[in-house]
Amino acid sequence: MKISIFQFGGCNKCFGQTILLKEMNTKENMDIEWVQEPKQWKSQKIDYAIITGYLTAENKQSILQIVNNAKKTIGFGSCTVSGGVYGLSYQRGTLIKPLRFFSESIMEVPACMAEIEELVETIEKGQSSKKQALCSVCTRKSTCSFLSEVVRQIDISQDETSCFNDLGFMCNGYVAKECKERCVAHGAPCRGCKPSVDRSGMRMLGMFGTLMGNIEVATEATGKGGTDKLADRDDDVTKSVPDVTGNFFRFTLADGLLPVGRIKSTGSVLSDVFTGRLIEELPLISGLIGGYKSVELTLDIIQAYETAAGISVSEKTKQLRSELIKTEQKIKEALKTKNIEEYKKAESNIRRIAGNMNLSNVFFGGFKTPVKGHENFEEYKYSIFEIAPGQYSGKHVKYTINEIGQVVSFEINPDFIKMEGL
Amino acid sequence: MEAKGRNIIAFMCNECGQGAARTAGVARMAYDPAIKIVRVQCSGQVGPIQIMDALSHGADAVAVIGCCFGACHFFNGNFLSMHRIKLMKKLFKEMGYSDQFINHYTARAAEGETAVGDFEDVVERLEKAQKQGGTFQ
Repeated sequence: MKISIFQFGGCNKCFGQTILLKEMNTKENMDIEWVQEPKQWKSQKIDYAIITGYLTAENKQSILQIVNNAKKTIGFGSCTVSGGVYGLSYQRGTLIKPLRFFSESIMEVPACMAEIEELVETIEKGQSSKKQALCSVCTRKSTCSFLSEVVRQIDISQDETSCFNDLGFMCNGYVAKECKERCVAHGAPCRGCKPSVDRSGMRMLGMFGTLMGNIEVATEATGKGGTDKLADRDDDVTKSVPDVTGNFFRFTLADGLLPVGRIKSTGSVLSDVFTGRLIEELPLISGLIGGYKSVELTLDIIQAYETAAGISVSEKTKQLRSELIKTEQKIKEALKTKNIEEYKKAESNIRRIAGNMNLSNVFFGGFKTPVKGHENFEEYKYSIFEIAPGQYSGKHVKYTINEIGQVVSFEINPDFIKMEGL
Repeated sequence: MEAKGRNIIAFMCNECGQGAARTAGVARMAYDPAIKIVRVQCSGQVGPIQIMDALSHGADAVAVIGCCFGACHFFNGNFLSMHRIKLMKKLFKEMGYSDQFINHYTARAAEGETAVGDFEDVVERLEKAQKQGGTFQ
């Protein structure tokens, strides 16, 4: 069975993950080719084409060439299936498109990071096995009761059984499927990279609007004879969710439901992705977007803020963070040499410390959940921080946040972007 | 003010919303032909999915009209629908589009002019938004 794996735009996290395909137990032998530059690919007939990375209109030629030469095409990862986290730049006019816009006869394996086990199932059975809803496997249980307020940061150790949404901490798990990364188990709310329903962002927006039913807003009649036009008012409902796009459409903004955004671009896709997001969500986004530089990027964003805002960091936290950076180096080396054993070892070490490959456990001031092998959690526990508006600069990034904690400008060192894998 | 060739979908609740439209009809009040009424049991039934369906199938604007606050004939459907519309308006603004394509109103069944007033307002808002170049499609 001849398989070609193509990497388009974006980070190479899913592309790198396909290294494991070789050693998965499959019925047929796989002859795998990795193509990092799809434009330069010499056409040949293949059984399966696996496409990773985000796609734009410019990629049309290459995609059609691949689809026409392959018996079956699979979109692997959120970026290919629905625009993914890079699709947030759709808000600022980048025309990112899901794979099904280029060809209808494709199969999809969504999630960030996409799961290799599902890919194998899709290759062997033509579809992946049906997964349960995330809520049915989550350790937290939801009552779906109305909220009186929405909170942006919580101490997760205070209540380990209530649903994040019940605590007022917005989670998109209601519209997501069971997954391997399981951010909710590591103190990070789900943002729905693996939707269980179509138009998941819109559905979750409607659901959360309902959940906010106990938030008190003005309801008095306005004007004589006319009717109330209270929906125009900016009140606690809109202020509770300062970034609707980033919270409900983190992986699905570019999937074709909404027209392309008209906000002025900052000139770089990566800056566009980060601009407008909330400070407490930045590590969750950079953890997804950095590919095999995600740890470096995430810690740079976090440390820039910690240093300037005076958030204290323990020695233990520093030690765990430097271990994470070293492990990331190992992953990069393993990928270069195609050393599967080393790759697996490094991956499991990242999962042990950072919770998952999206670094859900990493936060400002420390870690959200205990790290295996490091007993005294209080020593490296994260902190809930006050939002301090201002400009923050790290080694690779420079960003400004306003008084509600929203990023108003974000720059990444161009040399850092040019480095392989971002 | 007539919005020629335009389609405005007005989701009206079966109680006060539709009641006000009926009262307006009895009093022979005229309203814009661009308004297409979709009767729903409660405005709380209308959410982002229905609104996006309308907009992506050719509607230029959507209005959701429910009972007055505190007078929902079920529980608080009008209130919930207003929350959803507020979030949708915010989403539209974040994407760089006018938020005047989606509107939420309340009407009073005994007063037909409230429904007609809502219709006039939504047409006015659509015209203004279109003049500013903020069309949705």
